[in-house]
Amino acid sequence: VSAPLPPVRVEKALALLPELEALAPLRALLVATSRPDERSLWSSSGPYLTLGKRGVQPDELRRRMPQAFHTIAEHLQALYRAFVEALESQQRGDAGAVVAALLRAGRLEEGAGRVTQAGAWYQVALDVAGALQDRRPEVESLDSLGRMALALGHHADAARHFQRALALAEAEFDQAGAIAACEGLGDAARWQGQWAGAHAWYARALRLAEASADHRAIGRLERQLGILARQQGDLAAAGEHLRRAREHLESADAPQELARVLNAQGQLEAELGRRAPASAAYREALAWVQRAPRDPALELSVRINLAQLDLDAGRFLEADEELRRAEQVAIAGSLTHRLAQIYTLMGRLRGAQGDETGFVFFEQAIELCKTLERSAATEAQVYLEYGLFRERLGQREEARAYLERARTIFDSLGEAVERDRADAELRKVSA
Amino acid sequence: VRPQLSLHGSPPPSPSRKKEDGQLRLLVVTGQEGGTGGVVQSVRQWAADAGLEIETASDLPRAVRELAAKRWDVVLAVLGERADEDLSWWVDALRGAAGSPRLVAAAQAPSMGLVLRAEKLGVLDVLSLPLRRDDVLQALRRVRASATEVPVRLATVEHHAVGTYALVGQSPAMLEVYKLLARVAPSSATVLVSGESGTGKEVVARAIHQSGTNAAGPFVAVNCAAIPENLLESELFGHEKGAFTGAITRKIGRFEQAGNGTLFLDEIADMSLALQAKILRAVQEREIERVGGSETIPVDVRLIAATNRDLQVAIAQGRFREDLYYRLAVVTIRLPRLAERGDDLVLLVAYFARQFAERHGKQVHAISDRALELLRLHSWVGNVRELRNVIERAVIVATDETLRVEHLPDEFRGEETALADRPEGALLTLAELEARHMARILAHTNGQIGAAAEILGIHRNTLTRKMKEYGL
Repeated sequence: VSAPLPPVRVEKALALLPELEALAPLRALLVATSRPDERSLWSSSGPYLTLGKRGVQPDELRRRMPQAFHTIAEHLQALYRAFVEALESQQRGDAGAVVAALLRAGRLEEGAGRVTQAGAWYQVALDVAGALQDRRPEVESLDSLGRMALALGHHADAARHFQRALALAEAEFDQAGAIAACEGLGDAARWQGQWAGAHAWYARALRLAEASADHRAIGRLERQLGILARQQGDLAAAGEHLRRAREHLESADAPQELARVLNAQGQLEAELGRRAPASAAYREALAWVQRAPRDPALELSVRINLAQLDLDAGRFLEADEELRRAEQVAIAGSLTHRLAQIYTLMGRLRGAQGDETGFVFFEQAIELCKTLERSAATEAQVYLEYGLFRERLGQREEARAYLERARTIFDSLGEAVERDRADAELRKVSA
Repeated sequence: VRPQLSLHGSPPPSPSRKKEDGQLRLLVVTGQEGGTGGVVQSVRQWAADAGLEIETASDLPRAVRELAAKRWDVVLAVLGERADEDLSWWVDALRGAAGSPRLVAAAQAPSMGLVLRAEKLGVLDVLSLPLRRDDVLQALRRVRASATEVPVRLATVEHHAVGTYALVGQSPAMLEVYKLLARVAPSSATVLVSGESGTGKEVVARAIHQSGTNAAGPFVAVNCAAIPENLLESELFGHEKGAFTGAITRKIGRFEQAGNGTLFLDEIADMSLALQAKILRAVQEREIERVGGSETIPVDVRLIAATNRDLQVAIAQGRFREDLYYRLAVVTIRLPRLAERGDDLVLLVAYFARQFAERHGKQVHAISDRALELLRLHSWVGNVRELRNVIERAVIVATDETLRVEHLPDEFRGEETALADRPEGALLTLAELEARHMARILAHTNGQIGAAAEILGIHRNTLTRKMKEYGL
């Protein structure tokens, strides 16, 4: 038997794939199919394994292609069906149903991770809804556009959509629409570091939710207020909000939301320096994730926090294992956009161990930001941590260069909190 | 010399996983699916008959709270419709739980794939629903059996320190390595160290440097496989500021950093042919150029290269330059696999256990006979590096002076399950044996079917068909 050909590395495979939208599913399949080369698992390069160094067997890719075609066909069928339904509704003169069908198509796109494409559907829905007498479809369209803008980091645009949605919802006595709009405005303000504004919007949404006895919404908003309080350093208030969030969500039987609350509880406990309760909260969050409908993004978020907890406690072996599990969840769940965050943490871990070769994780994270993820905010975060890594190794000139780059990107994105953090680190390096 | 492993002077037996009265603590988790109420009722009755202490949790979050609050010996978990996922979740959830409870999974009509996966993950047993009294009691007997481990005192190991590393071993294969190392170190000859992953190539390279004429100079190691290909050249040769996007400052490369010392190029076979040509030039002419620079810089370094690949095959496949191979392999040292080193394994266990106990502030003086037996039986694909990781993890999770089976990774606990005495009626069929072997090889190749088929000596289509047949 002749020696089998070694797998092709992902970094080389991706380099052969042109940047065409039609090939995005193939790109995702390629990543999901990749495996660590068996020979490298225990080699000295094993601990530095990143997506680019994983291997792809062309044969395996070929075998899994029908499955991918099936998924693509299903997605397109669902989109086409939604469009035909919109068309039929148009024919019947039911513009409200037209908007509903278009919004459904947008959500399908969002579910497939195609946020920009989702935005196009939402925009058409908004155009149709604008001509209706009933303003609720317009409120819903604006809410969807606002959520999408938030996901893309366009906070000012998001705030604009939510403001308009709130005005319309109040005029229509649409309580649910008003709650969603206020929460969206709170999110937009929080991302821009406008703590007081964020608090005011969340509190207003909470009052509305309490008035309509919507336990799920109350729980969600209490969690948001808890997170906000923690970010502002008011840990006692944060604990109280999270306790109330849990109470409401337990009665609402909302496993996903409960997982989110426990995830936030874990972060709070970690900030209080209480490692064991933090770990217990994250573990319970993972149990709720397992009980809820599949949500790899949420699982990933908890696992990353768990890894960070181990990392901060100097438990490097555990942190590394948890990060590798998170990496596997991200790759299997086609959440490549979270890989940059995972590799940044792996780089931080090596930095804490004084391991210079850890720079490979930051380089891979930057590469991912430029190719697969295309998120300037994440790229800036990577540069910030890369700068701190270089500083820890005594490479001050390089540290300064990376921190300056991070600061410039944060500034251009309007992310004041992170820009100020980059500034503070720059001052430390320059001192 | 056979390593000293004496039962004399053993520390007192370590606390058993059982309570003093021999009562096991069992947590039964039924999950969300309906129709499991009978499970609790039946197990409660059997547990009472067998003198077990039992509590129940009706869903996963409650179970997690129970696990955090108390110490359990066994968890009997009813898997849901996504049995595979549930199984992985449970293994993960029990990792690090107080008392390292063993998992017994129960599922509706478990597939052979699920059973084999469970075995690999160290699950004590997979039972079919509805549960049968004998199956449950048999599983619990295995927990009791694993509690009877005898501590064996760890020997004090003589070793040759190499910086923060050490050469440990007295096997004939290692003695050959030491002799060659002693002969080659005082010269300035380029050395190629070959051997499987984890056999200690870098430690040998450091030992050569430490015993060589340039020991006062730096030892600079570069892992050629770890560094992205587009960055490796600048890492090795350095770059001038602005040479390419990202070259924000001038960088001194590893060749220059290793001046008057040793440059260790690990996993050299992973280098591109273009870069191999540049290395060849550096080795031949003893000078380099930084990326984006025009100045020629003389370098005086001893080069040691290492590989876990067969470079002759790589040359035949056109992946490695033959001229570079002959330049590097002036002297070749081949390191043995751990499996070829016989009782060195025991010495290494003792050495690592003491080293990590000191590092993590633990008191570890013994290893149980069963744990040691499992270590001896393991296939050690990752050689000494894998052993080192296993011992470090065991030391971290150990709660007393003895490393026991429960402190070993999941797959070892699976091997223990496979080793356990089976009643006569449970002898394996040929198909079960074949499925087990295939699962083992697939695990070894990390699921790569082509490589697994090659090891098994069958066509990949045959393997794919059988994998489907056995639900692997």
